[in-house]
Amino acid sequence: MDTSQPSPSLRKRGRRERKTRRSVLVAERVARTAISLGGGLTIATVSLICVFLAWVVIPLFGAATLSPARSLAGGRASEPIVACATDEYASLMWVLERSGRVSVLRLDTGATLETLSVSEQAQPAALGFDAASNVVAVGTSDGAVRLATLSFAVSYPDTAGSGEVLSTLRPEERTPFAGGLAERLADGQVRCVRLELSISEPFELGTGAAKSPPRLLDLNVTEAGATVAALFEDGRLTVGALKRTTNMMTGAETLRFRGGDLPAPNAPQSEQPIALRLLGAGDNVLLVWRDGRGVRYDARELRSATAAESLELLQSADVELTRVGAALGERTVLVGDSKGGVGAWFRTRPEQAGTVDGARMARGHWFAGDGVAVTAVAPSATSRSFAVGRADGRFELYFLTSEKQLAEGRTPDGSAVDALCLSPREDALLVHSAGGWSAHQLASHHPEASVTALLRPVWYENYEQPEHVWQSSSGADDFEAKFGLMPLVFGTLKATFYSLLFGVPLALLAAIFSSEYLAPRTRVAVKSTIEIMASLPSVVLGFLAGNVVAPLVQNSLAAVLASFYCVPIALLLGARLWQLAPQGLVLRLVSWQRLLVITLALPLGLLTASVLGPWIEDVAFGGSLEGWLDMQHGGAAPGWFLLLLPVAAIGATFAIARLGGGWVRRVSQHWSRARCAQFDLLRFCATGVCACLFAALAAALLSAAGLDPRGSLLDTYAQRNALVVGFIMGFAIIPIIYTLSEDALSSVPEQLRQASLGAGATPWQTALRVIVPTAASGLFSAVMVGLGRAVGETMIVLMAAGNTPIMDWNVFSGFRTLSANIAVELPEAVEGDTHYRTLFLAALALFAMTFVVNTGAELVRQRFRRRAYQL
Amino acid sequence: MIPAGPSPAIDGDMLLPAPRRGLPSPTMQHPSPERSTPSRPAKVFEAIARNEPHVTETHLSLQGDDAVLEVEQFQLHYGAMHALHNISMRIPRGKVTALIGPSGCGKSTLLRSVNRMNDLIDNVRIGGSMRLNGDPIYAPGVDVIELRKRIGMVFQKPNPFPMSIFENVIYSLRIDGESDKRVLAQTCEESLRAAGLWEEVKDRLQDSALRLSGGQQQRLCIARAIAAEPEVLLLDEPCSALDPIATGRIEDLIEELKGEYSILMVTHNMQQASRTSDCTAFMYLGRLIEYGPTDDIFLQPHLRETEDYVTGRFG
Ligand SMILES: Nc1ncnc2c1ncn2[C@@H]1O[C@H](COP(=O)(O)OP(=O)(O)OP(=O)(O)O)[C@@H](O)[C@H]1O
Ligand SMILES: [Mg+2]
Repeated sequence: MDTSQPSPSLRKRGRRERKTRRSVLVAERVARTAISLGGGLTIATVSLICVFLAWVVIPLFGAATLSPARSLAGGRASEPIVACATDEYASLMWVLERSGRVSVLRLDTGATLETLSVSEQAQPAALGFDAASNVVAVGTSDGAVRLATLSFAVSYPDTAGSGEVLSTLRPEERTPFAGGLAERLADGQVRCVRLELSISEPFELGTGAAKSPPRLLDLNVTEAGATVAALFEDGRLTVGALKRTTNMMTGAETLRFRGGDLPAPNAPQSEQPIALRLLGAGDNVLLVWRDGRGVRYDARELRSATAAESLELLQSADVELTRVGAALGERTVLVGDSKGGVGAWFRTRPEQAGTVDGARMARGHWFAGDGVAVTAVAPSATSRSFAVGRADGRFELYFLTSEKQLAEGRTPDGSAVDALCLSPREDALLVHSAGGWSAHQLASHHPEASVTALLRPVWYENYEQPEHVWQSSSGADDFEAKFGLMPLVFGTLKATFYSLLFGVPLALLAAIFSSEYLAPRTRVAVKSTIEIMASLPSVVLGFLAGNVVAPLVQNSLAAVLASFYCVPIALLLGARLWQLAPQGLVLRLVSWQRLLVITLALPLGLLTASVLGPWIEDVAFGGSLEGWLDMQHGGAAPGWFLLLLPVAAIGATFAIARLGGGWVRRVSQHWSRARCAQFDLLRFCATGVCACLFAALAAALLSAAGLDPRGSLLDTYAQRNALVVGFIMGFAIIPIIYTLSEDALSSVPEQLRQASLGAGATPWQTALRVIVPTAASGLFSAVMVGLGRAVGETMIVLMAAGNTPIMDWNVFSGFRTLSANIAVELPEAVEGDTHYRTLFLAALALFAMTFVVNTGAELVRQRFRRRAYQL
Repeated sequence: MIPAGPSPAIDGDMLLPAPRRGLPSPTMQHPSPERSTPSRPAKVFEAIARNEPHVTETHLSLQGDDAVLEVEQFQLHYGAMHALHNISMRIPRGKVTALIGPSGCGKSTLLRSVNRMNDLIDNVRIGGSMRLNGDPIYAPGVDVIELRKRIGMVFQKPNPFPMSIFENVIYSLRIDGESDKRVLAQTCEESLRAAGLWEEVKDRLQDSALRLSGGQQQRLCIARAIAAEPEVLLLDEPCSALDPIATGRIEDLIEELKGEYSILMVTHNMQQASRTSDCTAFMYLGRLIEYGPTDDIFLQPHLRETEDYVTGRFG
């Protein structure tokens, strides 16, 4: 506008009032409030999610709490206690003494409710106890054995019809009723718990003549039946199964023992074994001496049972074995010694066991004591927790698998603990010492979880060695859930690694191509097309991966693998052949040349792969790649050759450039364009030949050295595997990496590009030497964001990774990621239990991983912005 | 890699046979001295406003010079916009030629046309021809990459690469694949000495070039251009981002490079043009108005418009 002629309105009003209008101010304030509110809410939501996750997870690592001791008035045992147990509600406890006397105690007052006996004789010759079924085998001096079943019966009597006693019972109050203990519950019902003792008819161990009294007895009751093992006073060892037969006429039941003698242990008669244990389902017998020697018998065939191995259960000679117990399931033997250590032994199946049954006992867990002898060991009836009592009155509660100490305490008078009892719900711990019984309330929530058990290899029962295992459920009853997070973290990393391996080079090369070679208008079109790719729902990609790509890849594995070689070679070769084309043609098609070469070379490469792949499979891999991968046939050399070929090609390219580069430059200075192109083609072929030679040599050497790629990077083929996931997830992360790195490349100041091009550099040289280094941190952060996306990606891995939580780098095996695991298992996890909380921990780990990755990417990007600003 | 070919934006008229080197084209026919009286009324701008073709006023004294770069009837369109009209000039060898003119008149465009940096812009159409030491610049079959290696360019804003000083200087050798350490070190030293920067940076060649001051960065860019031993050095307002002292150093440098290098320089600074250049070309709205020895242009220009411009009465 010309200032010499101000508009009429301006002249009339003179100087225009320069005051911000009220509506602008209001809009400004509203916008600012809305934006800060939105930002604040976002941050608050994220923190809340984090807090919620942590809130669910933290109880996992809480220690158990043990209330102070409450002395029980009665029931002090005068004889050694053989076994004891409480009912489910921890209201009654029975205590079996060596004399066969069973006293029933009230746990609230400590009063003795009644006293029974499992034996008519004053002193039974031997007692054996099966904790799972609460059956006691009572051996008498005449060689007969009876089974006494001690079971708690729970009833809910009708209060109206049972007179005064129950109707006046106030809530929470307890009273003796009908031989048991009645309690009014909070909901008004009355619950009555009573111990029922039933004793079977006697049966004979062994036949006829041998009527020696048993010295040690053990019993194992399973659904299939009962097994009994006995060591007699005369040194005879017998094991056998009990058969229940019913007399058709009278209906009376009789028990019959069928079994055989085991070879007597070759130990001096003077030293008697101190414990006899039936292991597992009663198919193994363990005999243990005080000095730590042990013999395990294989008793799968009862009539021809033999000694399988002899053991040294203690580490040094000056230690004595004091207590032998068995953890839940009776497969793990707990051995306490005079120095306070407790070892947990179970059978493993190593490669070279050297025993008749191929198994070997191994000490899977070790709880080193502090020198005070172990005087009592009591397992839980419902979990792999166990309590240990010591000679100085201290006692501890441990969890076997995680080796975590849950709680510890001490008897009030400091006298030695001689018996311990854990209630089935693990809410009460009862301790017996010279001062009688004392009761503790126990609250232990997630004994199986600990930082080490979640993250370190854990030696699970019957495993050969400590391992990372995730196995949250199974069909078996006595199954122990295994919460090793490592396989899931590993699966996540594996998925990320393979998808980045596939996606990053493609995305970065595409970004370089479009920012450096494409005209701005084409670039915009290409970019928005690729961004549309990002909007493909990942469930669709997952479906494609699992149901289309996976079978396709499996059916034509050789061709697919061959295309990884053929396509790049075809593209490189195509570019070189294009240079040979007549100059006129090249100039006419100059802007289409790359597209032309790609559209010609790509299908040609694929075609070659589909022909060459099966041929190579026939020639080098015995006709079946899957069989070769499975180690069914063929040697290592062809595999090594193909694996090393890319490395060798890169090496050969560099070597040739290094050795002959200067010479070529001098010589070719005055060559014509066609001559240069021919030479380039020749050099390309020479490089290929050199690469093949290198790879063949290395393959021959490696396979001669006995190394095989199968077993690590390559292994048995699974249909849903890392290759398929890497392919499809790589496809899923390409758009985001491409977009961000294209932005980074385009934001490199134009003047740098001009300086480089102006100096006579080709676009490719400009990109590699100037643009990419300048944009490096932007590219890095693009890759990191892609990585973050790959880490959190769920649907693709869920549908295409096979969900097997195994840990190996094999390209052809499946895996399970943290995210897929949460998606699969959270719906069926019980709220609040260890599994549920561990899944939340997995979520927290995932959150932490993506948070760290994204924050790192953001930090790098901000640094990059500052640097770009400096330019 | 597939080498980048010549630009697609090649117009038909550039395929016309160009006049033979050394012979002035008809449009360059010099007007008679009688016409070149500075007191002539300002008619040229009015004629341009009427879109009449303008014939460049080229001083006779330039005729005999050996030209390193010949521009003949050069036209350039940015889409529909006609940015350069019929430019014809001969840049003398071993001398400094200054391009002056008001902003937007096409100086940078002309400079960028010399090393074909305009190829990078969409929608550029070109007519006429240019020759570098007799070799056509715009002809089918010209390898742009090879061409650019023969021309050095320094931009208005210092644009060192984010690498070490050493790597910056030897960039053109690196892209040619030179790996002989001795050659590299020697070229680096020579170029830095030629650019008058050696004494300041010889102890920190491995430092990032971005840590140099603006003036040092600009001299580094000149050193980088010199390292390629270009046949022509194009400087586009090399001092506009610098303070007077740095500007003085660059001017001294240009003075020293004179003779060895042929320099085509754009500047807005009349003193600079008069101090450093041997010849001066005045451009206006895409036309080359007057072209002659610097002393003549500044002291006794043939056209009134030129006089007005160089004395600051307009522009
Ligand atoms: N990339 C482009 N696309 C379209 N038009 C352009 C482009 N570059 C320059 N122009 C136009 O061409 C004309 C000449 O521009 P040029 O940059 O050559 O001017 P200049 O003489 O260098 O000006 P200054 O002295 O301000 O640098 C201007 O009108 C400008 O708007
Ligand atoms: Mg300019």
